[in-house]
Amino acid sequence: MRRVKRALSCLLLFACAASCAPGHANSPDVNGRRYFGSLAAPPGQVLRFNLGSEPELRDPSVMSGQPDGRFARIVFEGLTNSDPRTLEPRPGQAYRWETGADGLVYTFHLRPGLSWSDGTPLTSRDFAWSWRRALAPATASRNASLLYAIRGAEDYNKGVLADSSRLGLATPDDSTFVVTLAQPTAYFLFLTTYYTFLPVPRHVVERWGALWTLPQHLVGNGPFRWTYWRQNDRYEFAPSERYWDRAHVRLEKIVGYTVDDLSTATNLYKSGALDWNPSNYIPSQFLPYLRGYADFRVYPSQATYFYCVNCTRAPFTDPWVRRALNLAIDREAISRDLLKGSRAAWGRITPAGYPGYAGPRPVAFDPARARECLARAGFPGGKGFPRVSILFNTSEDHRRIGEAIQAMWKRELGIDVELTNQEWGSYMQSTVTLHYDVARRTWTGDYLDPNTFLQLLVSGDGNNRTGWSNARYDALVREAAGTLDPARRFASLAEAESLALDQSPYLPIYLYSTSELVKPWVRGIYPTALDVHPLTYVWIDHEWRQHEPLAGSPVRP
Amino acid sequence: MITYVVRRVLLMVPTLLVIATLTFVLIRLAPGGPFQSEKDIPAKAKAELLARYGLDRPLHEQYASFLRNVVRLDFGPSYKYPDRQVRDIILQGFSVSAELGGWALLLALLVGVPLGTLAAVRQNQTADFAAMTLALAGVSVPSFVLGPVFVLAFALTLLWLPAALWTGPASRILPVLALSASYVAYIARLTRAGMLEVLRQDYIRTARAKGLAERDVIVKHAMKLGLLPVVSYLGPAAARIIMGSIVIEQIFAIPGLGRYLVVGAVNRDYTLVMGTVLFYASFLLVLNLLVDLAYGWLDPRVELA
Repeated sequence: MRRVKRALSCLLLFACAASCAPGHANSPDVNGRRYFGSLAAPPGQVLRFNLGSEPELRDPSVMSGQPDGRFARIVFEGLTNSDPRTLEPRPGQAYRWETGADGLVYTFHLRPGLSWSDGTPLTSRDFAWSWRRALAPATASRNASLLYAIRGAEDYNKGVLADSSRLGLATPDDSTFVVTLAQPTAYFLFLTTYYTFLPVPRHVVERWGALWTLPQHLVGNGPFRWTYWRQNDRYEFAPSERYWDRAHVRLEKIVGYTVDDLSTATNLYKSGALDWNPSNYIPSQFLPYLRGYADFRVYPSQATYFYCVNCTRAPFTDPWVRRALNLAIDREAISRDLLKGSRAAWGRITPAGYPGYAGPRPVAFDPARARECLARAGFPGGKGFPRVSILFNTSEDHRRIGEAIQAMWKRELGIDVELTNQEWGSYMQSTVTLHYDVARRTWTGDYLDPNTFLQLLVSGDGNNRTGWSNARYDALVREAAGTLDPARRFASLAEAESLALDQSPYLPIYLYSTSELVKPWVRGIYPTALDVHPLTYVWIDHEWRQHEPLAGSPVRP
Repeated sequence: MITYVVRRVLLMVPTLLVIATLTFVLIRLAPGGPFQSEKDIPAKAKAELLARYGLDRPLHEQYASFLRNVVRLDFGPSYKYPDRQVRDIILQGFSVSAELGGWALLLALLVGVPLGTLAAVRQNQTADFAAMTLALAGVSVPSFVLGPVFVLAFALTLLWLPAALWTGPASRILPVLALSASYVAYIARLTRAGMLEVLRQDYIRTARAKGLAERDVIVKHAMKLGLLPVVSYLGPAAARIIMGSIVIEQIFAIPGLGRYLVVGAVNRDYTLVMGTVLFYASFLLVLNLLVDLAYGWLDPRVELA
């Protein structure tokens, strides 16, 4: 028995040592700053990062999803590419472009001597062919609607227009690509940085069909070539010798691990196996603890968390009911008490950070007015209000927020709400087919313009998912789309958003933020609004201890 | 013996047919489908996708074509990863899971059987208590606790081993240990129970009376029968451990097969779900057959006919 006791005490001691140690041995200080985990940079110019979950589709014209997009931007390059700090479009495969006075015609001039990574010359016809393919109904691209700015694109994609030669895409010669838009689109150049606008190699796609995206077939035109893949393990890339700016590409190798477990990704970063752990692959319980470290940064992202209300179901057909629900949500309390400040309370549909767009006044918690609204709808003190339910997909956080809002609506409005939990597939089905009362949702912006959010609520938009339809709103969004002057355009959009906030088909709750861990030797990865990070000019600074402690300045909201 | 094996193999066919049918019905009953996403897809594109995979045809036709494909061992491409064949996904995942599970099972046997035997031979002595305490701990502590504790101790604090990923021999150690712990414990307890029962039997007394060395009594006579419970446990255990464990795969970022069973169902990736379920089912049936054959060899009283 004594032996057992000794063994047990040994075990206890060990467990204690394990749980106490990381504060000391593993979190060295450099220049007075604390870093999270190992500070041994691997030799050479190698970047090892977490790509997140395994990319589903590697065909840029078809894909949607962050890991997929990250892959595409490493291997392909569009007419323009993104500035690593601001994401503003910069010359990519096109070295210059002109815009017609009416804002409808864009003429892109390609760099001379461009080629695919297998040596096949790349011409303007590759772009025209790729965009047509992305729009073809048979391609079934999930992001084809981003190309709707182009003349004829929407009709062609929806099968109304059969002749693809009538799209606003022209190639007068091998190096000139002329795009005619359906209407002026202020953010069109920005769209050309998006992965749906990337060129795909016609000769490879036609030869291999759906299998062209396998590693043995895929050919790109971007700064790196795809060299190795193991499903659910890793992607490896090496510089492409044929890239036009090869001279300025410094990384010799990129390894993107596909680790979708948050704790595992953070452990790998801490142990020094990852140099960059981006895009919130950090357990939320770690966030308060990580705030003191110099290699941790958090910045607002273009995504909002909101509840949508099924406007086709009584009693939600009445805007006074929706208003009451909207005004009775104490967003500050949710952000402060539930989310421990890791997300900012948010009272608008569009997120912050669109240059030039101030947006309308946000919805604020106003219980007295909420009660008034409910009374005007015919339910004073919540009397006679039917039992309704909040739908969310399985997640502890969604449940906790649902419970908090359930309590708020009970307390402030005297109404009873149930919580309904469905797994992802059922939840998707319920929201798409409007089989719910109130449902939790998230939307992430595609481009840096409020339109990427406000388009959602246009009548009949596939992402509306509330059945809400308002002619005035539709007119305002349409009017903005046809306006080139930014001030007037944003004024229309702000008016539309203000109308939507008042009508309350969506009840905003909080603004997402992006947290990431970056080792101090990684240079050229900056906080950006869309969590998009071009890796072309990233490099490893082995003298980082002598230089500034961190590349880029961390922004802390 | 051969007729027995042939009959058993033939019996697998209806079993698998029932499993295939049930899975087909259940996954189709689940709300939603493989092509839904947070972002809406235009109706035309969605129709195109459904037609491409034959999902627009009547259900009985889909079922018939699915059965034809099963016979040819071809499940077609995954819906979630359209450039990858389900067969390739399964084979790639299985090769990793089989290695991980194989090591873990081997370890479980190498540690569990001697531990259980020792406990049985020294029944109610210190060694027995120590071994059974250890076994109780092993059974009680789930792998999702053990895994992170191992990572914290050996990877993040002592820096001896990698925290995760499947590269090089060192990366195998922690996941194999974490995965095998509960199997070690279970096998030790089964061995102990089996051995205790056998050790009390007449033929063991006879062996001892003949003057055989205790070592020979245990190893040559008692173990053969005493291990029967372990052998029957080994069939399903091997299937489970070798088909992959989603928990261990998540914690250690291992590209194994376990995750596809779960992820495929969540994504309504019909072909992937059908492929993994049928693969798992066949594997389990084959292992059960092997267990029954081993029984016949270990225990002469069992007759295979």
